[in-house]
Amino acid sequence: MRHILAFVLILFSAFSVWADDAVIAYVKTVTGEASVTTAGKQVKAEVGTPVMLGSKLKTGPKSSMGVTFKDETMMSLGADSELTVDEYLYAPAQGKLKMGSKLGKGSLNYVSGVIAKLKPDAVTIATPSGSIGVRGTQFLVKVEE
Amino acid sequence: MPTKLIKCFLAGSCILALTACAPKSYVVLLESPDGTTGQVIVKGQKGEQVISTARHAVPADGSAPPVAVDLVKLEKDFGDAMAARPKLPAHFLLYFESGGIKLTKESLALLAKILEDANTRPAPDISVIGHTDTAGNDKTNEALSLKRAKAVAEMLKEKGLKARELTVESHGERNQLVKTPDNTQEPRNRRVEVSVR
Repeated sequence: MRHILAFVLILFSAFSVWADDAVIAYVKTVTGEASVTTAGKQVKAEVGTPVMLGSKLKTGPKSSMGVTFKDETMMSLGADSELTVDEYLYAPAQGKLKMGSKLGKGSLNYVSGVIAKLKPDAVTIATPSGSIGVRGTQFLVKVEE
Repeated sequence: MPTKLIKCFLAGSCILALTACAPKSYVVLLESPDGTTGQVIVKGQKGEQVISTARHAVPADGSAPPVAVDLVKLEKDFGDAMAARPKLPAHFLLYFESGGIKLTKESLALLAKILEDANTRPAPDISVIGHTDTAGNDKTNEALSLKRAKAVAEMLKEKGLKARELTVESHGERNQLVKTPDNTQEPRNRRVEVSVR
């Protein structure tokens, strides 16, 4: 029994080092100049760059970036875009589901994931002139002043 | 003027309305990757609109009902964002012999497919979620589904899985694939789900 316990503990610690609960999405595609800013710290976006709650995603001219969230929501940005992820809760076993983002400028391709599937009302994408509710689908948004 | 022509003319002017004097900020509904079409609800400063038809658009302030968008405009405004869309996530279901962590023969063979898929992705992040059927009590099942998920994660690592992140979760008997009463043996519920993103 002690052996098993020791083994489980080793396994557990190995996983907790590997997994980071604060990460809600990863950058999967990038072209040109793109960045992820989290808690005031800006890093160049590369494939594998983590996205946290509150992160701001930015792309420059002739650039783009795509991210996949834990619940399989996908968001990709065209050139000169700014997206902030303000709310994200994904714990389906506890029924905790929420996603709120804001497209400040530019263009966005959104593909819904598990959160929109299980609880459509829990997803909102805001723009400077309104908000978008999602009923399990894919859509595009362009924001231009 | 024949009716057909009038219809054509009207449809043409609708598309034009969005191309020529188009709102600068707007929302377009597309088909989902699975081929179905859902809905988006746009609540803006100037009204509320619902889009239910793919490739139809409304202004982001909700000021006008949906109109068709032409594909040239879509490509011009969204070509780069659409091209940046990540690869669709993949799901795999692995099944177990009753009561333990032994995979069925078919599921054992599926491990190689999971690796193959993960290797095609940039920085894959993977969730391994364990489930049981309702035979036996909740606590034992919670522990068993965790053991199953961990066993699968270990096997994938042994086979050389290189992941950006690998998380292991346990849902016990709470999240059944096939709804059964308590204390029911159901092979399809004895499973581990692997989601590769």
